[in-house]
Amino acid sequence: MFQKADNNALWAIGLSLALFFIGGILTTVVPPLVDTTWAKPFENHDPAKGITGKVVPLNDLQKKGRAIYVREGCWYCHTQQIRTLLADTKRYGWRGVDAPISTPDEFVYDDPHMFGTKRTGPDLARVGGKYDEQWHKTHFRNPRDLVKGSVMPPYPWIANDPAEFKALVAYLQNLGRGKDWRPANDYEK
Amino acid sequence: MQAQFSKAEVASAPEGAVVHDDATAKWFLISSVTYFFIVGIIAVIIAAKFVWPDLMGTMSWLTYGRLRPLHVNGMLFGWLLAADMGLAYYVIPRLCGVKLWSEKLGLATAILWNVIILGAVVTLLAGLNQGWEYAELPWYLDILVVVAWIMFGVNILMTVASRKHQAMYVTIWYTMGCILWTAFVYLTGNFATLFTTGTNQANLNWMYVHNAVGLIFTPIGLAIAYYFIPRASSTPLHSHKLSMVGFWSLAFVYVWTGAHHMLHGPISQWLQTISIAFSVMLLIPVWAVVYNLFATMKGQWHQLRESVPLRFLMSGVVFYLLTCFQGPMHSLRTVNAIVSKTDWIPGHAHMAVLGCFSFFAIAGTYFVMPKIFGKALHSEALANWSYWLLMVGGLGFFVTLWLGGFWQGWQWNNWSIPFIDTVIALRPIWLVRFVSGVMMFAGIVLFAYNILATALGADERAAA
Repeated sequence: MFQKADNNALWAIGLSLALFFIGGILTTVVPPLVDTTWAKPFENHDPAKGITGKVVPLNDLQKKGRAIYVREGCWYCHTQQIRTLLADTKRYGWRGVDAPISTPDEFVYDDPHMFGTKRTGPDLARVGGKYDEQWHKTHFRNPRDLVKGSVMPPYPWIANDPAEFKALVAYLQNLGRGKDWRPANDYEK
Repeated sequence: MQAQFSKAEVASAPEGAVVHDDATAKWFLISSVTYFFIVGIIAVIIAAKFVWPDLMGTMSWLTYGRLRPLHVNGMLFGWLLAADMGLAYYVIPRLCGVKLWSEKLGLATAILWNVIILGAVVTLLAGLNQGWEYAELPWYLDILVVVAWIMFGVNILMTVASRKHQAMYVTIWYTMGCILWTAFVYLTGNFATLFTTGTNQANLNWMYVHNAVGLIFTPIGLAIAYYFIPRASSTPLHSHKLSMVGFWSLAFVYVWTGAHHMLHGPISQWLQTISIAFSVMLLIPVWAVVYNLFATMKGQWHQLRESVPLRFLMSGVVFYLLTCFQGPMHSLRTVNAIVSKTDWIPGHAHMAVLGCFSFFAIAGTYFVMPKIFGKALHSEALANWSYWLLMVGGLGFFVTLWLGGFWQGWQWNNWSIPFIDTVIALRPIWLVRFVSGVMMFAGIVLFAYNILATALGADERAAA
């Protein structure tokens, strides 16, 4: 079978595509058909079944904020996923409460997805409600004014543009809130 | 049949029989070398931003988040893929014993490719970013990439179809594989993603990102290595059968591994496990290739002292082995829990793309440019310097980031250490990375100068 591909170009092409498509289809087309949680938005109103909450589509302001997040490449340095590692749930918890693990059903309305690959800065999957608007304003103007030793670039063109700043903060404050993980609605505005 | 490949065809490819035009190869190589230099400047700037975060930070179009995609796309598509395509335009007609099917089509492809790269510079600096890694370019540029790729593919495949030699050398399979797999991998990462969201989209995105390296740069890079190692050392390839094992196992195994970018993440556990199993299986094609190329050099290693292209090639093979040993290792869940998302990963990625595949492309360019222009290389001494600067700078870059990344990963796993302390701990690492980056850039400058000086005829010596 493989010997024939030495002399026959069409056979070589056909065989290399056939081998490629076995894995290609089984790992891209099939998984969302098998695992339906990829497409079903998270919703739970029964505390007995675990954490409650509901994932809803972003509003127009939050969408505008997400576009800024994408445009400035925030996602090159900040991931958005609490992994199934104790260190992630502890590190990205807040005021003594562990951050819930991220699940596929929380990201159904994410387009583009913002999972990220690199944590030059901290993960932002549960950043919504951790810091108030004034903190973000100061931080975007110059991160080192608030966090000594930070290597995040300054973003004066966002901090000084009220419309852009408002949209970006609206997006950030919503991150991870589909799961209502803070006790007694303890979220900053 | 096998002897025919390993003895006659490779060591003395019939160059005299056909007069090659090589205009397409020439223009692809000249533009790719130029982008290597220009994008190298961007690379040094973003490395500097880790050390001096306020550097050029108040202008939106020079911020890190806009220069980084320009660095990645510029190096991948402006330099590396274009150089690989240029070398394919040189190599394939020779292995087929015929002229390139159409130089006109080839030159049109070169022009279109430059339009795409210049379009990428403008759109990425303006912040027109789609938000997917390696697929940042807006859809209208994606369509041009597809058109250019079809033009490239048709030209190469038609050349193969009109070949004089019935049997195809391994370089031809790898190039054909690259053309076909790239088509589907690119469509998945740039178009199928448009119709999906969330985890489903991320899965397609990672299939693309991983296979951009595994089924685009790997096959075309190995095609080049398989041609130039026997060619530059005038030694026949060790084993035809082993090259078949490497090729067909790559064709089957690579595509399954995309989900290993999401280990421990919000994606089905069984899919993670599949990606781990196939990542480990990658050791098979890798070892088949590396053993074959090493065995080819048996008794011939002394040639590395004389030949800069051969030195780049064999260093590239060593980096290929190291990269592809690291890959399966960080697919294991326990190792992944430490190194994933850390600075280890850019160390690993740069060893693959710079240490291995760029070294192959540099070697090929050094080898063919004097031949295309019918002149001796402008300066052997500068070529030697470019090797050592890239080698030492590269090693400094990779090793420092592995150490730093591993250390960072351990710190992250101790959640009593505040995140900012893990950032501050890495500052010396980033300073060494910047210095290593400057050395690598100096190597790139010498390489680009040497090639362009050869092309422009700064030195009028005739070819030896």
